[in-house]
Amino acid sequence: MKSAAANRKVQVIGFTLLGMLTAFLMIFPVVWLLFSSFKPRAEMFAYPLKLFPSVFDFSSYKSVVDGGFFVYVKNSFFLAVVGTIITLVISSFCGYALAIYRNEIRYTNKVFAIFLLGTLIPGDILTVPQFAVISALGLYNNIWGVILPVVTTTTGIFMYRQHYMSIPLSLAESARIDGASEFKIFKDIMFPLGTSVTITLTIFSFMWRWNDYILPLMVLSDQKKYTIQIAIKTFIGTNGIDWSSILAASIISIIPIMIIFAFLQKYVVGGIAATGVKG
Amino acid sequence: MHKKNQAFAHTRAFWMFVSPALILFTVFFLVPLALAIGFSFTNYDGWKTMDFVGVKNYIKLFTDGDFYATLKRTFIYAIVNLPFKVALPLLVASLVCSKYMYGKTLVRTFIYIPVLLSALVAGITINWMFGEEYGLVNFIIQSMGGTPLKWAMNAGLATTVVSVASNWVSIGFYMIMFIGGINNISPELYEAASVDGANKVNAFFKITLPLLAPTTFIVLLLSTVNLLKEYTLVQGITTGGPGTSTTYIIQYIFNQGFTQMRYGYASAIGIVVGVIFIIIAGIQFKFSNGGGEV
Repeated sequence: MKSAAANRKVQVIGFTLLGMLTAFLMIFPVVWLLFSSFKPRAEMFAYPLKLFPSVFDFSSYKSVVDGGFFVYVKNSFFLAVVGTIITLVISSFCGYALAIYRNEIRYTNKVFAIFLLGTLIPGDILTVPQFAVISALGLYNNIWGVILPVVTTTTGIFMYRQHYMSIPLSLAESARIDGASEFKIFKDIMFPLGTSVTITLTIFSFMWRWNDYILPLMVLSDQKKYTIQIAIKTFIGTNGIDWSSILAASIISIIPIMIIFAFLQKYVVGGIAATGVKG
Repeated sequence: MHKKNQAFAHTRAFWMFVSPALILFTVFFLVPLALAIGFSFTNYDGWKTMDFVGVKNYIKLFTDGDFYATLKRTFIYAIVNLPFKVALPLLVASLVCSKYMYGKTLVRTFIYIPVLLSALVAGITINWMFGEEYGLVNFIIQSMGGTPLKWAMNAGLATTVVSVASNWVSIGFYMIMFIGGINNISPELYEAASVDGANKVNAFFKITLPLLAPTTFIVLLLSTVNLLKEYTLVQGITTGGPGTSTTYIIQYIFNQGFTQMRYGYASAIGIVVGVIFIIIAGIQFKFSNGGGEV
């Protein structure tokens, strides 16, 4: 019996150490990026490399911020916030209707199938004709040209549809008997019942829009309109990378996402486990 | 009469609710899809020229050595990385679900953090580790008496760095999916197995692995699609080089379209690649019924 306990102890120590080592290896590149961004320029490129900066030097951050980086932060916030609000409205409308009218309207599944096309074919192969459409609508070099093409997400519609499928139809029926309009039933009764989906989709959508790359790269030509990701890309030149700027800019770009994750971690993880989708 | 009115009201409400999403989806997805097919039969240059050229683009495509080379490179990249994309998250998930491990929440959080980064920043982060002169990896190699490697100059090494970055950002995501699968396995199975004298390795291969098959399949297919469309990550590391050794198919379409201004030709490539993706998605729909996840 004693040896079993000892055996267990060895296993606990072994597994825990292995877990810690994995966690360390996974987080280390981010830590290295963070500490490097605070090194004075000379130290960044001096052997032997050290983990900690000798002094915390903010000059990289200062030069990035002086270069107008907050304009890009602002643009990214606009894209992420406005894009997310539109995504929430249209996905909840659509997912709700596909679920709640499923018995009365025969073609709900056919309409849903149209949206599933979006998961079948990655939008990335359609960049050229998408660009043609955006230009034809006069949205070239316009933040709306980056927002409107991506706000419809099959993932979001799917999440709401699944959720409202699990809510008894009798709930809507009794509200109708009380004389509530279809929109009022959605707004006052059903939308609040979908809060868990709304929170998860808010986080996902914010992250997707904040991290968007291909569309802003195609659509935005005026530097003042750049989003964070495109601004970061400008530090990668044909003659090499402006490391001191790009490290600081990358760290700034991570901060909002990390804050959201820190507070709403369980929704992020729960959302993936429930739907198996990230984007 | 009342019933008829209600049916009408509900049909109207349905279309009111569905139309915002449907209109945007039509304008920015279905129309481009139709345009891609249309453009692929023209020599459209994105500006003035747009003549019907029949199947010329497709004929050109099937004789375009660069296209084949890119497609082959993309498939090799995907196939070589697939085992890692599935095995690493599976092992990590098994580890963090083990009752012998302490500090699970912290470990899971740390492993998940790379998933939060944008593909570009993730690429940059790994690129910074693998710098030739002042990268940490080369510094460690030198400290141990080795010769620093030219990560950006050698095709194989550059692909390795891209692969490391790609796995680094996806482990946490697929880990969460595997954890979900593992948590669905009844603990009684393991108890029964241990009563029968099975050790942990046995239990892993005889219980965990077979029961995780649906999850594994989803991870496999998601990884395949994501590897085949790898693009943004590469922009933070090699931007496709050295030469074209890390240029994958999405970048090829992008270059043909926006750098060479061959909208028609780029559309034709898009259609062919789209068909490949549809085949993969078809396999997914056919087999994923048992998985319960989409």
